[in-house]
Amino acid sequence: MQYDIIIIGGGHNGLTTAALTAARGRKVLLLEGRDAPGGLAAGREFHPGYRSTGILHDTTSVRQSVIDALALESHGLRRRSEPAAVFAPQADGAGLLLSCDASKADGEIRAHSSGDADQYARFSEFLERVGGYIRRLLADPPPDISLTRLGQYIELFRKGWGLRRLGRETMYECLRIGPMCVQDWLDEWFENDLLKATLAAPALLGTWTGPRSAGTTALSLMQHSTARGEIAGGPAGLVAALVGACKAKGAEIRTGSTVKRIRVGTGCVLGVELESGESIDALCVASSIDPKRTFLDLLRPADLPIGLEVPMQNWRCRGTTAKIHLALSGPLEFASRPGDLFENIRIGESLTEIERAFDGVKYRELPVRPHLDMRVPTISDPTLAPEGHHVVSILVHFVPHDLDGGWTDERRDELLQSTLARLAAVSPSCVDRIAGHEVLTPVDIEREFGITGGHIHHGEHGLDQMFSLRPHPRCSRYKTSLPGLYLCGSGSHPGGGITCAPGELAATAMR
Amino acid sequence: MTQREYDAIVIGGGHNGLVCAAYLARAGRSVLVLERRHVLGGAAVTEELYPGFKYSVCSYVVSLLRPEIIRDLSLPRFGLEILPLECSFTPQLEGHGLVRWPDADRTRREIAAFSKRDSEIYPEFGREMMKVGRMVKPILAMVPPDPSSLNPARLLEMLRLGRLFGELTEAERVLQAKMFTMSAIDFLDEWFEGDLLKATMGVSGIIGTFQGVRSPGTAYVLLHHYMGEIDGAFRAWGLAKGGTGAISNAIADSARNLGVEIRTDASVANIIVRGGQTVGVALEDGTEIRAKHVVSGVDPHRTFLGLCEATDLDSGFLAAIKKFKLRGSSGKVNLALDRFPEFACRPGVGPHVRGDMAIAPSVDYLERAFDDAKYGDFSRRPFMNIVIPSLTDPTVAPPGQHMMSIFVQYAPYELKEGPEAWPSKRDAFGDAVIDTLAEYCPTLKDSILHRQVLTPWDLQQEFGLTEGNIFHGELSLEQLFFLRPTPLWTRYATPIPGLWMCGSGTHPGGGIMGASGANAAQQILKKG
Repeated sequence: MQYDIIIIGGGHNGLTTAALTAARGRKVLLLEGRDAPGGLAAGREFHPGYRSTGILHDTTSVRQSVIDALALESHGLRRRSEPAAVFAPQADGAGLLLSCDASKADGEIRAHSSGDADQYARFSEFLERVGGYIRRLLADPPPDISLTRLGQYIELFRKGWGLRRLGRETMYECLRIGPMCVQDWLDEWFENDLLKATLAAPALLGTWTGPRSAGTTALSLMQHSTARGEIAGGPAGLVAALVGACKAKGAEIRTGSTVKRIRVGTGCVLGVELESGESIDALCVASSIDPKRTFLDLLRPADLPIGLEVPMQNWRCRGTTAKIHLALSGPLEFASRPGDLFENIRIGESLTEIERAFDGVKYRELPVRPHLDMRVPTISDPTLAPEGHHVVSILVHFVPHDLDGGWTDERRDELLQSTLARLAAVSPSCVDRIAGHEVLTPVDIEREFGITGGHIHHGEHGLDQMFSLRPHPRCSRYKTSLPGLYLCGSGSHPGGGITCAPGELAATAMR
Repeated sequence: MTQREYDAIVIGGGHNGLVCAAYLARAGRSVLVLERRHVLGGAAVTEELYPGFKYSVCSYVVSLLRPEIIRDLSLPRFGLEILPLECSFTPQLEGHGLVRWPDADRTRREIAAFSKRDSEIYPEFGREMMKVGRMVKPILAMVPPDPSSLNPARLLEMLRLGRLFGELTEAERVLQAKMFTMSAIDFLDEWFEGDLLKATMGVSGIIGTFQGVRSPGTAYVLLHHYMGEIDGAFRAWGLAKGGTGAISNAIADSARNLGVEIRTDASVANIIVRGGQTVGVALEDGTEIRAKHVVSGVDPHRTFLGLCEATDLDSGFLAAIKKFKLRGSSGKVNLALDRFPEFACRPGVGPHVRGDMAIAPSVDYLERAFDDAKYGDFSRRPFMNIVIPSLTDPTVAPPGQHMMSIFVQYAPYELKEGPEAWPSKRDAFGDAVIDTLAEYCPTLKDSILHRQVLTPWDLQQEFGLTEGNIFHGELSLEQLFFLRPTPLWTRYATPIPGLWMCGSGTHPGGGIMGASGANAAQQILKKG
């Protein structure tokens, strides 16, 4: 039996490609090695009676066009009209509840700095002005820089013209700030440390860069431009809807089926071979797993397209993210705001503090004061835990994959303790309420989810690994130089995070 | 008191100012150069601070000086002689260190002691770097285009640039993109495995910048230092005979020969603007000198925030200039020594010490040195680039005695106690340098006759380099090419008609290159 398309890996991008191609009438088979689809977006019971909504937990950047094209709302997906406000607590101080809406954020920011409150409105205006262009840049496949045809020059010119149309000053401002470090950029706008840390942090998640690393402003602009409302039920809610769409469109999903290799004959893809020994034929194969594994593990060296071996060996994917789930016997309350509950929390009081947390990674050390990006999914979905109990989902930064001396249970516990110490400083009641926990280091993420280096974005978000260079100019437009092989995961433009964009763009390229 | 009117006045007698003046005079213009200090050369200066010792006070090696400038201004005729620095020595506390020789075979054997694989790749790396260097070179000589302009002449320039890009092979294009965005170490990681080799190569990516070897964007600066050219030979570094000041003196003599008038001890107080037009300058002593054009060789902050009235400039431009980052990150320690400082790991006055030496024992060492600076301290254990010019050029020290020039990084201008704290920390900084170096040269401390310690604060106070930045502005991607020093004003002109920039704060930036001065002259001459 032959399929039109086999998709390797059932994460949110693989599911997106599967559903979109099946919707066009293709005969699609999606192969997932784990027992359930979803990958980093899948929920799991991490402690008896407590469920998380995914290793990743931010759904604000999911592409609305995917939701519309697959009518995911008819499969139960609900999206909020705007992102939830973020609470940034302080060990000494009231903290900051930051809303994307400048008018709502005004009072909170004014309590820290009235100058910054005025600036925030202007900052939001600036983001509004350039957001459309950045969204288009991310919505299109990256330009082909092989420049062998006139059309490719025209495409490049159009990208440039799109920027020029924002006006000379805005054009130059984008060119100037893009390569900057996010700290310098935010220093130009604001004075308050807490505000700057809270604004900068999301762009740094999962990356091997601190706020002082050049190029992080570009990441921040991308993140700010694409943020919309969250999806109810978090990543798991998205996965459920995508699985529903796959079924409705006729895409077949097989779990517990790990692909051993991609079969190639006479210069084109023939299908895949599973770990079980079974061979499945297909006209084309789309891989949503990371590019390093796709090219170096799933292809025999002889089948690897010329010129890709060295670049893929050099593909940077050193994971910096650990994941901690906490099961709490009561709500997560903050000393500075008794009685208030927050879904979305970032702990990191200044850019310098985040930079120091990053420093450790360079020397393969654990951070003393990690930066925490947290969600409390039980606030909107109490069914994830026993009644009155809560689940806390924490992305911990920056945690080296290649920890000096290697990862042991003691080191895992050390990471948990430093995380809890940060939490206890702002929420003393939290520690006594912990009924259970789970710690996943980058090495655990690598092992469990099959991502090289445990890098949650499938490859570093550095300017040298973005756009037309992601993962390499010869395969940055989803089609690879091996006929029949496509890429559809986070290792392709526009990169990682739960966006479904690589999956969508790959599906378009497979027309 | 009013004097005659010049065609052009150049503020600052550094190498760029002098080059600009010489080119203007060569085209028949009457030119006056005004230097605040008693010596010419700016940061490219030689001074006898201890009897018999000629200190290359700031800048100490040369390589990027453009060959066409040497030719056009007949600099060898005016005494310019470059003595090549042929090897590069990286000592170690344990181990024999690493020397990269001009002889490829010898270098291969040195590197092979650490990694056989690296030793085989090393020559190939050099060839690739030269290739990228050749691609980037035309950009250095170019007056930056304006990608926002719809003017046909500007569009044509952009097209030409596009064609330059189009002519590259795909692999070259990728390499170029990577060099502009990667960190020096990530880039070197793609080639090499040996930590010492990567450290010693990586440092060329950070010299003079407020970046670490792991900061994205530093791979490009690495290239900057690979593009050195002496007598048409790529990648060679050299010393000017008689000290770095000899370069400035040669340019000055050539300029004088072309009719340029040069005054030292002439400090400009402000640039005079009447009716929106530059008409001349006023000196500290009250003298006013008139000129059709005023060309500033000093950095953008000093030019616009120091020498101009805020009312003569619009607020948007001033805000952009304020955003231009200078942030000095380096200091200099110069030592007069009564004997040769032996390196314990390779004793003797062999050829290995006649090149430059780097205290860069590991990548982590360099990165930790940067971490200190990030949080407002000088590096307790800094990176150093050392030259002993007296070994190559006996004219700079008495016989048997030596001059040691130590470039030190990091020394951030902005200390956590504030930059004014530098004078009280100067000695501690000097001690940190000497203590670190003494671990490698055990006899060093006993042989010091005189030491000069220059902190970024001193570079600012003494040499007028704002925040002590040796390149007149950080060489980071957002401050290069058509963004240097600020968008729309990258073609050496300024918003005030008749006022021009010719210093390192303009494209192509710092180093003793002279290109900014030459490009500025070219633009001024176009205006008439």
